[in-house]
Amino acid sequence: MNTFLQLLVNGLGKGAVYALLALGFVIIFKATEVVNFAHGSLVLIGGYLVYELKDALGWAGAAVVGIVAAALSALAIERLLLRNATSADHNSLALLTIGIDVIITEEVVRRVGADIPFIGDPYDSQPIRIGDLTIFRTQAIALVVGAVLITAFLLAFRYSNWGVAMRAQAENREAAALMGIRSSRVTATAWLVAGALAGVAVLFMATQDFSGAGLGRGTHAIALIAFPAAILGGLDSTEGAVVGGLVVGLTEALSAQYISFEFSKSAVFLVMLVVLVIRPSGLFGTKELSRV
Amino acid sequence: MIAARRAGRSALIAGALTSTLVLAACGSTADTAGGTAGAGGVITDVGVTDTTITLGIMGDTSGVFKNLGAGLNAGNQLWADDVNAAGGICGRQIEIEVVDHGYKADVAKTLYPQLEPNVLGMVQLLGSPVLAALEPNLIEDNMLAAPASWSSEVLDNPGIMMIGTTYDLEIINGLAYLQQQGLLADGDTIGHIYIDGEYGGNGLKGSQYYAQQHGLTINEAKVTSTDNDLTGIVTGMRGAGVKVIVLTTTPGQTASALAANQALGLNVPVLGNNPTFDPALLETPAAGALGNLYVSASNAPFSSPNPKAVEVTTRYKEAYPDSPLNAGVTTGYTEGVVWQNVLEAACEAGDLSRAGVKTALTTLTEVDSEGLVDVLDYSSPGAPPTRGVYIAQVDATAEGGLREVAPLFTSPEGESYVAPFQES
Repeated sequence: MNTFLQLLVNGLGKGAVYALLALGFVIIFKATEVVNFAHGSLVLIGGYLVYELKDALGWAGAAVVGIVAAALSALAIERLLLRNATSADHNSLALLTIGIDVIITEEVVRRVGADIPFIGDPYDSQPIRIGDLTIFRTQAIALVVGAVLITAFLLAFRYSNWGVAMRAQAENREAAALMGIRSSRVTATAWLVAGALAGVAVLFMATQDFSGAGLGRGTHAIALIAFPAAILGGLDSTEGAVVGGLVVGLTEALSAQYISFEFSKSAVFLVMLVVLVIRPSGLFGTKELSRV
Repeated sequence: MIAARRAGRSALIAGALTSTLVLAACGSTADTAGGTAGAGGVITDVGVTDTTITLGIMGDTSGVFKNLGAGLNAGNQLWADDVNAAGGICGRQIEIEVVDHGYKADVAKTLYPQLEPNVLGMVQLLGSPVLAALEPNLIEDNMLAAPASWSSEVLDNPGIMMIGTTYDLEIINGLAYLQQQGLLADGDTIGHIYIDGEYGGNGLKGSQYYAQQHGLTINEAKVTSTDNDLTGIVTGMRGAGVKVIVLTTTPGQTASALAANQALGLNVPVLGNNPTFDPALLETPAAGALGNLYVSASNAPFSSPNPKAVEVTTRYKEAYPDSPLNAGVTTGYTEGVVWQNVLEAACEAGDLSRAGVKTALTTLTEVDSEGLVDVLDYSSPGAPPTRGVYIAQVDATAEGGLREVAPLFTSPEGESYVAPFQES
């Protein structure tokens, strides 16, 4: 029972970070219908700046710079590369993001070298023990930060002008434009928010508690695990991203213990497949309706 | 079957060599495949001139083992400097040619053909995956190589000159030490986390043998070298009530397992093979959790009080003031010492060719490195040349991060263990 509870805690903590990442995928997809495969490289940009600047600016200052830089990098990708290709097919744009991802990732990995730095200084490796249960501080803070950010986002999405505009654009881009919604601004904001979420997520990812490894290719690989989270939640559903993230975190933790560690790597994708077979649009995704 | 084929090949090479020698004795001065008579009437072929003997290093100074690799290279060079200062071997100075494969087998495969024509043998070949990739080349080129990896599964190749004992024996002796200290009892459950592949598999063999002798149950967990977070596995092991965790992993994985061991309140002793620890771990967030780690290695730790180790490490600190302090230094020096014994025996036999040094190795029954490793015996094909280990515990205040807690010893279980290719 203790083991089960412990795994539940571990899984939920990881799930919170996956949710932040998955939300980034979903926001961009909702606004532009482009799947952003460069999300992992935004994570690395944020993490790299924290690593480079934390000695000079202190951890908090470096973290803020990292988050802002990840957000601005996302905006730059959208403004400089995708905006000029609006007439291109969405699949082509998704492939374009793969190219961007490879270039940025390789450059960050080259710069970091063999250091593999850890960047969760204020909370990493400081577990909280409650009886037989251990709560990893990194995961606990990730859960709280994740809950706050996700709630704030969902409220903004529902009640703010930007949220209404984005939902309108997601429903029907042409109609929204005719109603005076500036598609360009909505899209830019979506990329900014997604980039910032990636910048926040990396603060928890490159830690001993979360991944057992510092910033590097492993961090990038973790960012991609959030992709099935977004898919199984429903690629155009913000609530789905949150649920998907938690499902992925729990699936990983529980299958590693109760089936096998090796199986846990494919378990996430197996769950995704099962969900897609039963509900092709994901758990909360919008069903495609077409008149015949 | 493989051994028989190789024996056949060796016989063929020996035959070819003999006929070449006969031709040479008939007055030929041609540089033939079997070697030529050089200075002092010694037969030579590749990597040996009248004034120099060139040995190769295929090391790692840019990849995941770059700290260890730098220590090994420096240890090799310190040995060469000592030998050269004392007048060389067989009237020849030792030269070392270094390539850096960054722990990538494909890079090593590309670099090998450039290095091979220049060297007599390898004073250091770092990494199990690199060794596996190059094994056919080593056999084809009749190359003698000292691997900086310690699997007993490679001892079927007579060209492999193992320096010290092997992973399986490290674990057997390490578990015996823990039991002797009262940290483990017959019938207990132990966990063993190991990397899929030759390194991990060989370490696991040690646990399995010891478990069989003492009625232990093993909770096994196989990982790949890229799995960095072992928290889930350690959580499961806590549930299974393990008394000891054994690791045959990368240093990063070691840190994760030890961090989880402490965070989860398990706090059992953890036993690791010699590559599981890197002093750089003391700079990571897991530093505070590493105290439970016992490292079993055939080489003296950097801070060992052994007089020869002290001599080597002192000279290292003078010659390489800003370099990392790790057990690679003494290991590298020992590789050189074994090569020295081989070269001296080959010189005495009048044959410094590649075939000559391989034959010379099998004549060595007592290579003494003054305690850097146990006395080495290369006369039994397929058997590890020694079974003794040092046990060291992580201690941030010790140079190199490890403090010797047990001097060189071999447990009774280590003595009775039969290695995979050992002719019992």
